[in-house]
Amino acid sequence: MRRIFFLLLFLQTITAAAQSIVDTPHNLSANGPGSIHAGSETEICIFCHTPHNSSPCAPLWNRNNPGQNYILYQSSTIEAAPGQPDGASILCLSCHDGTIALGAVVSRDHLIEFSGGITVLPTGHANLGSDLSDDHPVSFIYNTSLAAADGELTDPATLNGPVQLDGQKVQCTACHNPHNNIYGNFLVASTHYSDLCMFCHQKNGWNGSLHRVSSASWNGSGNDPWPKSTYQTVAENGCENCHQPHGAGGAERIMRHLPEENNCLDCHAGNVAAKNIQSDLNKSYRHDVFAYTHIHDPEENAVSDIRHVECTDCHNPHVANGTDASAPVASGAIEGVKGVNSQGSAISAIQYEFEICYRCHADSPEKPGGHTSRQFYQTNVRLEFNAGNPSFHPVEASGKNGDVPSLISPLNEASIIYCTDCHASNNSSANGPHGSVYSPILKFRYETADYTSESYQAYELCYQCHDRNTIVNNQSTNFANVVHRKHIVDLQTPCNVCHDPHGVQGSSTNQSHLINFDTSVVSKSTGRQGKLEFIDSGSFTGQCYLYCHGRNHNPKRYI
Amino acid sequence: MIKFQFTFAVCLLALGTSVALGQNIQGSAHDFSNDNWNTTGQICIVCHTPHNADATVTNAPLWNHATTTATFTTYNSATMQATTGQPDASAKLCLSCHDGTIAVDNYGSQSGGSHFISGGPRIGTDLGNDHPISFTYNSSLASQDGGLHDPSTTNSGLGGTIAEDMLIGGKMQCASCHDVHNGSGFAYLLRKSNAGSALCLTCHDK
Amino acid sequence: MKKQPFFYGLCVLLLFVRLSFGQNMLSTAHDFSNADWNIHGQTCRVCHIPQDLDTVESNMPLWNRAVSSASYSIYTSSTLDATPGQPDGPSKLCLSCHDGTLAVDCFGDRSGGLYIINGQSCIGADLRDDHPISFVYNSSLASKDGGLYDPAITNSGLGGTIADDLLIDGKMQCTSCHEIHNMTGAAKLLRKPNIGSALCLTCHNK
Repeated sequence: MRRIFFLLLFLQTITAAAQSIVDTPHNLSANGPGSIHAGSETEICIFCHTPHNSSPCAPLWNRNNPGQNYILYQSSTIEAAPGQPDGASILCLSCHDGTIALGAVVSRDHLIEFSGGITVLPTGHANLGSDLSDDHPVSFIYNTSLAAADGELTDPATLNGPVQLDGQKVQCTACHNPHNNIYGNFLVASTHYSDLCMFCHQKNGWNGSLHRVSSASWNGSGNDPWPKSTYQTVAENGCENCHQPHGAGGAERIMRHLPEENNCLDCHAGNVAAKNIQSDLNKSYRHDVFAYTHIHDPEENAVSDIRHVECTDCHNPHVANGTDASAPVASGAIEGVKGVNSQGSAISAIQYEFEICYRCHADSPEKPGGHTSRQFYQTNVRLEFNAGNPSFHPVEASGKNGDVPSLISPLNEASIIYCTDCHASNNSSANGPHGSVYSPILKFRYETADYTSESYQAYELCYQCHDRNTIVNNQSTNFANVVHRKHIVDLQTPCNVCHDPHGVQGSSTNQSHLINFDTSVVSKSTGRQGKLEFIDSGSFTGQCYLYCHGRNHNPKRYI
Repeated sequence: MIKFQFTFAVCLLALGTSVALGQNIQGSAHDFSNDNWNTTGQICIVCHTPHNADATVTNAPLWNHATTTATFTTYNSATMQATTGQPDASAKLCLSCHDGTIAVDNYGSQSGGSHFISGGPRIGTDLGNDHPISFTYNSSLASQDGGLHDPSTTNSGLGGTIAEDMLIGGKMQCASCHDVHNGSGFAYLLRKSNAGSALCLTCHDK
Repeated sequence: MKKQPFFYGLCVLLLFVRLSFGQNMLSTAHDFSNADWNIHGQTCRVCHIPQDLDTVESNMPLWNRAVSSASYSIYTSSTLDATPGQPDGPSKLCLSCHDGTLAVDCFGDRSGGLYIINGQSCIGADLRDDHPISFVYNSSLASKDGGLYDPAITNSGLGGTIADDLLIDGKMQCTSCHEIHNMTGAAKLLRKPNIGSALCLTCHNK
């Protein structure tokens, strides 16, 4: 019993000791436990405080103002207005900007000598320098109106936990308590699950996001995603999976890395997250997130006006979750991303997946060109998929053709599909159009070159939904036999030569069935009435005016 | 058991050593008996007199020195929970030399002295850059502040609790840190050694 | 009159004391033999008479004076651990002149005297500005105060301990500091010279 009592006494002593500055690296006295300490000075408080003649008065400060002109944090998304460091922050900087010797205190007329010949704070993570642009902003007023303007900040009137303002301002002391190191880095609260960050930051969607709850951990291969953390899972690391409050590689929004994608690929490279996005992004045809740096901006227009692509153009890391959805509704993976709707209007959060694609592939002046020279050339995919068109793949709405016998169940004529049903990484467990060996980021092989020998593999993309047997082997109808089998198999003409896979604007007579000829293969018919035209004559009947493979259809009818 | 008793004895010995009063005012910074402005050759008389003391100053033991009438600028801080007022009680006595408004040699019946305190010991009337004084320091303040030990239960290291040994009338005063009579012989007439900031950390739970 | 021989014996004794200490009260502040109000022209008689006339107070050596019935204001201090009461013992005798309520020339059977003590010598009935008196000063008080020497073991500098030499029935009284018969010759009839505040520091551990 007595032994237990002494054990308790011992434990209590340890707990108490751990909360004292005496046992922290801020004990700069000769007896301090840190690597940086005085040579012989035994007083502890003196490095910061003096009972008399302090400057500034509160909190009895014993150090001079560094008098630096600091480079301040800047961000396109910040609503606050950080000024030159003041309040408690400038006190911290009287050591932590590395300009004033640690032993230079007001109350002594000589420098307190440090062991190892150290004068100013040595270069390292604690030395912030005078460039504060890569550090969480400080010395800004945080009031109710800031919280309202930002929309994702706690109303400071309700801040009653460990995070406290210095007057109305956020200062270093909002996060740090220089006297107490029980949470490490002198933080006022634990960063476990980013508890500390969330006293102020209330990111929309965060509580339901996978990044908030994922128990994924590093499998030991590739880069250690959390070199500065002792936490083992994505959820535990929280904000600091991507953000770094000091010395951030990507200063703006204190991202760990300047190249945006690196913040994601720390984990999405097969080392933490189940799906290896990096391997998809390394394929020949890709949304090339590597090609652009510091061009994407969260504040940019929904209709992209400078060509670029970053992970965060399609994903919102604060919101992304595992919710399944059915076309055309956006799944959880892309929830909370801005987009452009079917009317061409900017929207702050997409409802449908195609609304992301429309940012760059519709009305953007920077949109990529088409891959096929078409009779009716259109690179604005929003116009191609318009539900008012005579024909389109059913991305926005069910298709116009009520009789598509090739469709493989459960698909039917009322089905709607995603852009990503065709445009996605090949041979990947990830759904999105990250990268593929097939141009243009197609999920399966889709040959477009003339005189391609027909096979399941050659048109594997089409045959995912359209039964190959029905298309090329069904000889029960004249249409199937004469039109599809003859052209695709016998004459080795790819699907893409006659069909425009997105959709065609025009008339229901001439532009139904996605007919929009590849003009590198098909040209106008020769002779009288020479023209390039398809005429829909009803179910499985029609005629074509064209010249192709040395043959002149002027017109050629099929019934 | 013998070992335990031995340890106990060592502790008592250590305690005894730490509170031993090895010094006095003679020869200290407050011994003015040899100063040319002190014609009496006495020590105590600069501050005290056995008769005709100035009893109008509260808590002024047999006071014999002109007393400051200055209005002081007091310490202020956003993180301070204590409420400071104008210096009172014994603090006012200290300031009667240390604020620099009253000549050191204005004691007894003498006035018009010309020896004013200067340099480091001159606190001045702006106490904004000095540790706050003349405020009530009790359990409630400690609890409200969170960074102060409870004076009624915390050992001062001087034999009893902080409240018993270092507070005067429940208040923090100059004399909480300084022993004007140099009873301990530490630099700056401190009540106890500030090695390891032990004096600061007596009250400050940092 | 049978005590007369004793009285003269006392005078002889005082003479002997003079030889030993080099001083006596003749021609000092307490020698009123030449004062015009002293019709007897005697020195001792202002205070003493061979007959024991007044037995109101203890420790009254053949007292020849009325004793003041004033009610005194007592010294207080937040740092005072002693508990002074109304003046008693020899202090009461001192105050029968020095409180200014009774005329100096009211001795023997005289009443309605005219000569009231004045100036610095008039302590008055307000003792709040005077060093406390008539309190028990023992080892326990010294320990409690922390700033006083233990009277039972501390040398007074007068031959024995403080308790032996300076206390009267264990109490601090006027006569702890003052030798009314001026046997030492120190200024202000002090028991010992106060150069370097030596008298103060006999008891005060400052």
